[in-house]
Amino acid sequence: MEVQKEAQRIMTLSVWKMYHSRMQRGGLRLHRSLQLSLVMRSARELYLSAKVEAHEPEVPLPPVRSPDPRLHQSREAEAVVEAAPPDGEQPSPEPMDTREAPPAEETPARCAPRPAKVSRKRRNSSLSDGGDVGLVPSKKARLEEEGEGASAEVPDRLQPPPAQAEGAFPNLARVLQRRFSGLLNCSPAAPPTAPPACEAKPACRPADSMLNVLVRAVVAF
Amino acid sequence: MHQPPPASFCSSSSSSGGSSCECARVGVRVSALAPAAAPCPAPRRLPRPRQPEPPSRGTSTLLPARLGPWCSPTGSPAPLSCETGCGEGSWILVCRLLVPTQVSLLSMEEDIDTRKINNSFLRDHSYATEADIISTVEFNHTGELLATGDKGGRVVIFQREQESKNQVHRRGEYNVYSTFQSHEPEFDYLKSLEIEEKINKIRWLPQQNAAYFLLSTNDKTVKLWKVSERDKRPEGYNLKDEEGRLRDPATITTLRVPVLRPMDLMVEATPRRVFANAHTYHINSISVNSDYETYMSADDLRINLWNFEITNQSFNIVDIKPANMEELTEVITAAEFHPHHCNSFVYSSSKGTIRLCDMRASALCDRHSKFFEEPEDPSNRSFFSEIISSISDVKFSHSGRYIMTRDYLTVKVWDLNMENRPIETYQVHDYLRSKLCSLYENDCIFDKFECVWNGSDSVIMTGSYNNFFRMFDRNTKRDVTLEASRENSKPRAILKPRKVCVGGKRRKDEISVDSLDFSKKILHTAWHPSENIIAVAATNNLYIFQDKVN
Repeated sequence: MEVQKEAQRIMTLSVWKMYHSRMQRGGLRLHRSLQLSLVMRSARELYLSAKVEAHEPEVPLPPVRSPDPRLHQSREAEAVVEAAPPDGEQPSPEPMDTREAPPAEETPARCAPRPAKVSRKRRNSSLSDGGDVGLVPSKKARLEEEGEGASAEVPDRLQPPPAQAEGAFPNLARVLQRRFSGLLNCSPAAPPTAPPACEAKPACRPADSMLNVLVRAVVAF
Repeated sequence: MHQPPPASFCSSSSSSGGSSCECARVGVRVSALAPAAAPCPAPRRLPRPRQPEPPSRGTSTLLPARLGPWCSPTGSPAPLSCETGCGEGSWILVCRLLVPTQVSLLSMEEDIDTRKINNSFLRDHSYATEADIISTVEFNHTGELLATGDKGGRVVIFQREQESKNQVHRRGEYNVYSTFQSHEPEFDYLKSLEIEEKINKIRWLPQQNAAYFLLSTNDKTVKLWKVSERDKRPEGYNLKDEEGRLRDPATITTLRVPVLRPMDLMVEATPRRVFANAHTYHINSISVNSDYETYMSADDLRINLWNFEITNQSFNIVDIKPANMEELTEVITAAEFHPHHCNSFVYSSSKGTIRLCDMRASALCDRHSKFFEEPEDPSNRSFFSEIISSISDVKFSHSGRYIMTRDYLTVKVWDLNMENRPIETYQVHDYLRSKLCSLYENDCIFDKFECVWNGSDSVIMTGSYNNFFRMFDRNTKRDVTLEASRENSKPRAILKPRKVCVGGKRRKDEISVDSLDFSKKILHTAWHPSENIIAVAATNNLYIFQDKVN
């Protein structure tokens, strides 16, 4: 539990640093962003492994609540980061599968903590069973569409994204484009910037997918 | 995966078509074996510390000439008895050069609003002392000149005081020789990014004529500066009078030949080349090749090779940018040419690895010739292992046989012939290993420390926190921790070795880990190429220490 809290704290801190590094003079520093993303990934792994251990015997209530403060905090970062000018440096804005973490390991972790929202979970796992990790960000996309002030029951509104043949990212890019182009203001090139802008935002729910997307996204500066 | 080397870049605004009366072109090859001789007579003794120079020709005149930030040195170096030191003698303070106090007071009295304005783009430099933070220090090849760059884009060059019979003790002091604004803040309109004017690196070229040349770089642009002296001026023009006003031709009755008369020594700095628009990411290193015709500039993902004469083209020799940026796992953190072999260079990565590349192998040196990596010690594995293994500096030894790397907690010396592990590892401040989390919170874990060799490659030096810096003697295996601080820098002071207490019991002179000041860090140091004189940059102060062995 302590470990989880610590990991969570570090993740929040990293997100905060990531956000602030965008505002500093001289623009985004690639090396620093990379280091922050590494820390976030380590924190995520720690968090997940601690969670798996904690939840094997127990009732999963605490974890359900724990993402909330982070969610709330991340929301603000999200909103502002979204409006930030896109970083024009990356040629390929499409997020892709996480390199290292297979979706399978997260599925059991996800399954455990939310018996109260069974329907969501099931849908989630079914999507994951499709072997499509990119669906996780789609969940986030869905979430965003409901509005910034929405409560934390995001997964309720999840709709399965259209199936894709080639892989997660073209679909993800399209989904994100649709969802976020309206939210980005004054961005010169909306489509390519939609993914990068949202990439830096942490997703809200669930914690694992949040980390998943976040870590993936952050590396993609 | 490879991007083709860029054929050309937009030509920059350099005024490289030099007039023929300038000194010999940079890049004229000299025999590699000849030492960098100074063909001109030794520069004269400077008069007392001089008034700030007017903006040099070619520099931007957007901002008015500002006071050089450096005062004359305080106190004179003291002859001292030799105390126990690091094996090679004890260290005394030669001079401490600091920011004028009126500037500091001004910024302290400001209210919040003004400070906000001053922090914005194109702020007024006279307020922000942050602009005086030294960001690089470098001796030239003879050690006679010492260049510093700061966050405000200024370069200040110090010259060593010449030895004289009258003032024996003044030898070894460095006085201001030249000050100029090297880089200005810029704005990249395409990316909506501000480009900082902070000088990331300065590298000297070996001296080939009476003028001095140095390269200075900020995040995006490298500039070649020529620093030359002028001590004569022509007098006796026919068409102009002494103030430069045109004379009425009717009043001219005789014809005379202008003669050169001595004048007060003036040091001018002119930008001779501007190498711009070649880097997408932030430049972290530059290195002059031993052929003196080319140099390289390295950013996070690419290394470019330039010829000094050509400013609108550069060759990309290393490109580690992945096709998909999400696959990015490491960036280049430092790069340097081999001191003698003009075909070899090394670059370090954020993963703690060093690659030696040979430019003869192929045009694009993505495949290394040697790969130096130490396997990670699993017992030291922690949450922040990846960050602290990132190499912040890499330096070849003067002999060319060894390379030294600095990561967050250690300095390592590698033999070029052995790739699987370093031959020596020195712990700089291992007591911080348990504090990594707090250091992550206050951002100190991202600090990039530099490291330097002494002239004979027997001692290595690097900085730490609390204004401490450390020296390691490779032969005797002794090390010492010294402090560069205002409190301890009395004019006749010998530096007392410091000690950080790790365990419970703190002895009288020791300082405990928790009372270290992490805002006072020494990131940049330099060692004279042949003597035991070191320059240590502590925020906005420059300390020069000399080894005094009787």
